[in-house]
Amino acid sequence: MRISSKLEKQLEEYVVENKEKHYRIAYSYVKNTDDALDIVQESIFKALISLNTLKNPEFMKTWFYRILVNCSLDCIRKQKKIITLDNEVLYSYIDEVNDTYTDIDLHKALDELPDSYRSIIILRFFEDLKIEEIAEILNENINTIKTRLYKSLDKLRIKMND
Amino acid sequence: MNDKKINQLKNEYMSIPIPAELEFKVKKSLKEGKKAMNKKIYIKRLLATAASAAVIAISFTVGINTNEALAETLSDIPVLGGIVKVLTFKEYKFSEKTYDVDIETPALDGLENKSLQNSLNEKYFNENKELYEQFINDMKSLEENGGGHMGVSSGYVVKTDTDKILSVGRYIVNTVGSSSTTFRYDTIDKKNEILITLPSLFKDESYVDIISSNIKEQMVEQHNKDENKFYWVEGIENELAELFEKISINQSFYISSNGKLIISFDKYEVAPGYMGVVEFEIPTEILKNILVSNEYIY
Repeated sequence: MRISSKLEKQLEEYVVENKEKHYRIAYSYVKNTDDALDIVQESIFKALISLNTLKNPEFMKTWFYRILVNCSLDCIRKQKKIITLDNEVLYSYIDEVNDTYTDIDLHKALDELPDSYRSIIILRFFEDLKIEEIAEILNENINTIKTRLYKSLDKLRIKMND
Repeated sequence: MNDKKINQLKNEYMSIPIPAELEFKVKKSLKEGKKAMNKKIYIKRLLATAASAAVIAISFTVGINTNEALAETLSDIPVLGGIVKVLTFKEYKFSEKTYDVDIETPALDGLENKSLQNSLNEKYFNENKELYEQFINDMKSLEENGGGHMGVSSGYVVKTDTDKILSVGRYIVNTVGSSSTTFRYDTIDKKNEILITLPSLFKDESYVDIISSNIKEQMVEQHNKDENKFYWVEGIENELAELFEKISINQSFYISSNGKLIISFDKYEVAPGYMGVVEFEIPTEILKNILVSNEYIY
């Protein structure tokens, strides 16, 4: 059966319209232009060939973000094989920085969050997604996302006036 | 205070520079994705019907010098009526692990005009030799990079064989992941023993626009009748692929046995991959004022 070309067109429009958003998300994971471009390209490719897994066009955004985030994480995983810096090392580094400086470089702090935490901050605050949507994208339950969100904010020394 | 920090982060995030090539890359991968997607559909269609030229091209293998049968099935013409005929001159064939090669070189025989015959035969021979060598090189480099599947299949079909005209089409099917098919035709006037080129049929170059606009109409018309027939052309909604503008001066063509001009496009040239190689018959009516004569096309 031919996948309805209507859905295909919708996806095309969506990725063209939101290419900059997608690029920023990818970039915020990999921190370099070439890899970020590759991720955007790969995500679009994967999205098209697996368009039949999108059951309801209303969920195109979360569905695509999921592909995008997974591609980004894959890319980072590959990089990590080369860099070999584990989270423990990163954490000790963060704490040290926090002890020494009061005015922490926020940008750096965000970068040094574990991937699963960073995704949440990016999606929640920069992309203005709902907690439920983030849970859907990251394939976690809502409570896990909430917990991680507060932990991340805490790490960034940002307290929410809940 | 907190909002400030979040905003600060957000501002930094929003100021991530967007590279200029993003747009291009997005379109490129849309195209590639669609190709891959269409290929899935294409294979299904291959199984369901055996209609397109590409299908025919892929599915039969021909023994040496047995193209009489071929000529019979592909053009509704008595077998090799004239003295001029097409023979299989040379065949490269091997199949090794994940690599497949099947290259057939046609050769013309029986033309009085030996320089025409030789030049065409030489062209066929050299092109296929090059194709074969190219494949071997590609195979080596692929093997060095971890290996993969690759295949090339090339051969020919006699499209038309009448007292007057002989049209031979040579095809190349490249398979690396997805397959691409190209068709090149040579049409010979058997009586006068000359090679017919597209420009030589017409008084001037106005045929390019006349034929192109007719093909565009046909594309839209076919699509309106059957929405699965899809072309990259103005009038069929599609924002991304490059639209078909006009045929090239030396566009692939042949002349059918009933004297009609057939314009041929390679796979992916004007339509998604599942459409395969596409052909359009141009009504003689619209060409009559610009044709040099009605000898070939009527």
